[in-house]
Amino acid sequence: MKSAAVLILLFIIPTQVGYAQNFERKRENMVRQQIQNRGIDHQATLRAMKNVERHLFVPRGQQRRAYDDGPMPIGYGQTISQPYIVAYMTQLVNPGPEDRVLEIGAGSGYQAAVLAEIVDRVYTIEIIPELGNQAKQLLESLNYENVEVIVGDGYFGHEEQAPYDAIVVTAAAEYIPPPLIAQLKDGGKMVIPVGSPFLVQTLMLVEKHGDKITTTNLMPVRFVPFTRR
Amino acid sequence: MTKDMTKRIYLSVGLLSASILAFQLTLMQLLSVIQWSHFAYMVISVALLGFGASGTLLALARNWFIKYIKIALPSLMILSGASMSLIMLISSTVFGSFDSYLLFVDRSQILGLLVTYFAFFIPFLMGALAIGLVYIHYVEKIGSLYFADLMGSGLGGLLMLLLLWVFYPAQLPSAISLMPLVGGILLIPKEMMLKSVAPVLAVFILPIILIVTPPTLPVSEYKSLSGALNLPDAEIVKEKSSPYGQLSVVRSPALRYAPGLSLTYQGIVPVRDVIFNNGNWFGPVVEWTATDTSHFLDYTTNALPYVISKPGNILLLDSGTGLFAAHALTRGVDNITAVEQNRIATDLLKKDLAEMIDSMYHHDAMNPVNLHSRSYLLKDDNLYDLIILPTSETFGGTSGINALEEQYILTLQALDEMWKRLSENGMISVTSWMDYPSRNPLKLLATLVETHERNSTLPVEKHIAAIRGWGTVTFVLKKSPLSQSETEKIRNFCNRMFFDPVLLPGIDSSERWVYNQLQDDDFFVSVDRIMAEDRSIFYREYDFNIRPSTDNRPYFSQFLKLRRYNKMQEFFGQSTVPFLEIGYLVVLITFLQITAAAVILIILPLFVIGWKGGGRSYTILHFSGIGLGFMFIEITLIQQFILYFGNPIYAAAAVLSGMLICSGAGSLVSSRFNDDSSVIVRVLALIIIFITLYILFLTPLLRLTINFPLLPKIFLSIAFISPAAFFMGMPFPLGLRKLSRQNNTLIPWAWGINGCLSVISTALATIVAVEAGFLWVMMIAALAYGLTLIANFQKTERS
Repeated sequence: MKSAAVLILLFIIPTQVGYAQNFERKRENMVRQQIQNRGIDHQATLRAMKNVERHLFVPRGQQRRAYDDGPMPIGYGQTISQPYIVAYMTQLVNPGPEDRVLEIGAGSGYQAAVLAEIVDRVYTIEIIPELGNQAKQLLESLNYENVEVIVGDGYFGHEEQAPYDAIVVTAAAEYIPPPLIAQLKDGGKMVIPVGSPFLVQTLMLVEKHGDKITTTNLMPVRFVPFTRR
Repeated sequence: MTKDMTKRIYLSVGLLSASILAFQLTLMQLLSVIQWSHFAYMVISVALLGFGASGTLLALARNWFIKYIKIALPSLMILSGASMSLIMLISSTVFGSFDSYLLFVDRSQILGLLVTYFAFFIPFLMGALAIGLVYIHYVEKIGSLYFADLMGSGLGGLLMLLLLWVFYPAQLPSAISLMPLVGGILLIPKEMMLKSVAPVLAVFILPIILIVTPPTLPVSEYKSLSGALNLPDAEIVKEKSSPYGQLSVVRSPALRYAPGLSLTYQGIVPVRDVIFNNGNWFGPVVEWTATDTSHFLDYTTNALPYVISKPGNILLLDSGTGLFAAHALTRGVDNITAVEQNRIATDLLKKDLAEMIDSMYHHDAMNPVNLHSRSYLLKDDNLYDLIILPTSETFGGTSGINALEEQYILTLQALDEMWKRLSENGMISVTSWMDYPSRNPLKLLATLVETHERNSTLPVEKHIAAIRGWGTVTFVLKKSPLSQSETEKIRNFCNRMFFDPVLLPGIDSSERWVYNQLQDDDFFVSVDRIMAEDRSIFYREYDFNIRPSTDNRPYFSQFLKLRRYNKMQEFFGQSTVPFLEIGYLVVLITFLQITAAAVILIILPLFVIGWKGGGRSYTILHFSGIGLGFMFIEITLIQQFILYFGNPIYAAAAVLSGMLICSGAGSLVSSRFNDDSSVIVRVLALIIIFITLYILFLTPLLRLTINFPLLPKIFLSIAFISPAAFFMGMPFPLGLRKLSRQNNTLIPWAWGINGCLSVISTALATIVAVEAGFLWVMMIAALAYGLTLIANFQKTERS
């Protein structure tokens, strides 16, 4: 019996080590091929994308596809964004080490983890309790102490810690909630993907300059930055 | 056979046939709820595949079936019924095993789609085997049996319309399964009855349990209803089922709706109930009180027509849950006609939800009308200061899910009718979500511009205004030119709301990007090219189909150009493109799969029997021609009658029932005819004449009678369908009889070829309609019958 257990362990341990190395290699490829090669040069973002183990944020059965160049379903009709979108959104808000960032739509917690690698504090709100609780547990288990996951309605933002240097909305809605605009610092940036998660998403940047608010639809992104031909 | 047994066989066949047709319609309804309605034709294909495959199976194992007929016949009927209700027992496997949204990212979904096909196929195969076996064994009664079969089918379609009022979609398969179960039990021989008591009772237990406690339908998690139910404390507070679909009212403290709200809006976006129909967004239940002086839509681009002028009399088409009506009441409009075909939804708003909207529908200014919007336009002769169309596309895009939906309200002919209903300074207003690559707003603009050109000689630039927010664009087409003061009002409104003008008389291009910058100027270049006279060149050059839709091709939301698919794939990535236009691609994939299945299950096994003797080319031409022709006409009639009835289920029930009953009668009468080629040629010539008459006169006839009440419309539709259907029932039995005299071995081939073509033609007709229009579907049907006529004519010549 003992020998059987040893035999099993002998097989399992190398396999687990192999998987971990494999994921690390895939992650490095992802950053180089999908992100750097497409023009993302914000060093902190690149480091964060290299550090965060994306495969832990996707459903267990789909882990082998975690570093593929696309979004993936995570249940409840939600998706984890394509790695490039996560990196692009992060670079767009130009996060700094002192920043306080609010995220609307935690999903599986991946974007929050990437931000948490860079900024001082991340508040992330998830409306679907099952997803929010899963993200909370996962981020805790990965020792992200500067992330607070709040299960609730993102419409109201998180007034207690406002104003924010940046707001990252990962679950876009048909309207931009007025409380979020109010909780954005003067000069702050809000980034929102507009479009179906399965489709071409256009990232929209909302900027607040005193009383004037402008929007900019940035390059539509999915697999490659689209340019006119 | 005893008299009693004869009666029981007729009754059983009738019950089984009724259930098979009702089951087809049930599956269409179930798939509309769980996935999307574009699977309707797939159900017809699978049913026909069951019939085709049964013919082949009977040809291969005829003797075995005849030997055990006493057990085989009731067993097949019971199996058909049991498998219908079993589908609901394993509904999460059958319906939940694939999701058309995931079909292009997860290969295992293709397997799921095949599982679904298979689950649907079994009840039809069992039922068809039972019917085929009866025909073979009781051949001397074939005429009456065929009549019982077709009458049963016809009545099954009509019965379905009743059942849809009584049962929820999840209960329907089990309710319908009772018919073949009873049919099967009627045929159990007396000597076996005693032994069969226990199993017989057992087969009834499942459907009864499933009727009393229907399973929860595994609605796609990507449908709007699923999304809403994921919100905290979300609950369905009211549900109603009818032939218009299954309405669900969802309540959640997090359900808010304010489409494309201006970033200047400081107020609270209120919580609303939302109504879903078949799991799809139908509309929000707008909180409204008669004392309201402002409305959140004042902070959206939808306010554009009210910025231009104050309308006194407005018409809201497809008014849904009355969002635009509430806005109009708040703006003090005197007379609001709100047209909505779903009368169950209007009843909900008038009664159950009246308190929430301060009995808005009973307001003096309100005139709610329950009709298809297009039908109302055809009937109405009032003039309006403003006609508002429903918002086009949804936030985030629908990925072409509606590509195969006939949208008769957005065709050029519909817009012509709206133009005629405008007062001197009247306006047509329509809002669309911005999309990328741009499709919806461009097609809407093209439709408005061409409508103006068709009805006015004045330059269109002075009649069109368009403004854009961060997410939406609203177009207004005005009958009289926009004045200087009106354009100034629009500019001021844009500045207040942080919107940008897109089209205004004398607009400067720099005005278009002040508050909301786009990634490039493609959208504006496209808008300007549509406004130019040579827009046809632009339609051809553009990667998506943005040419205005017409009554002949009423697929407004079908943007995919097949010949540009490879280019799209190169540009957007292999797995992105399908999501631009998923609805149409699913049809194409289903067409390929069903064609392969038809060949494998129907044609290939026939090679076991062999393919000997003369008359082969005749068999191919005659039976493929009438298979294709019949189905092309049937599908076209269903699609044409959707506008007539304003409801796909009514249309399918009326057309299928009408065609089955009439072609059954034709087939019965044909047994008195001589089966020589000259008779067949004459019958085929008559069919071609009828198709030509359809091409020329069906649409005007339907338009003339569109406002009749439902019952006369059902009778009229049968009257329109019956003459052609009567003769279309003849070539098949006449051809079979002729073959049986000449070369008996070709009969299974004739069945097989006819079945195969029928299966393929269902999806093919839809593809032809999308690509070329209904006129071509009809013409191809005429051509197919023409080829059949030539084949028979040659036969006449030779003989």
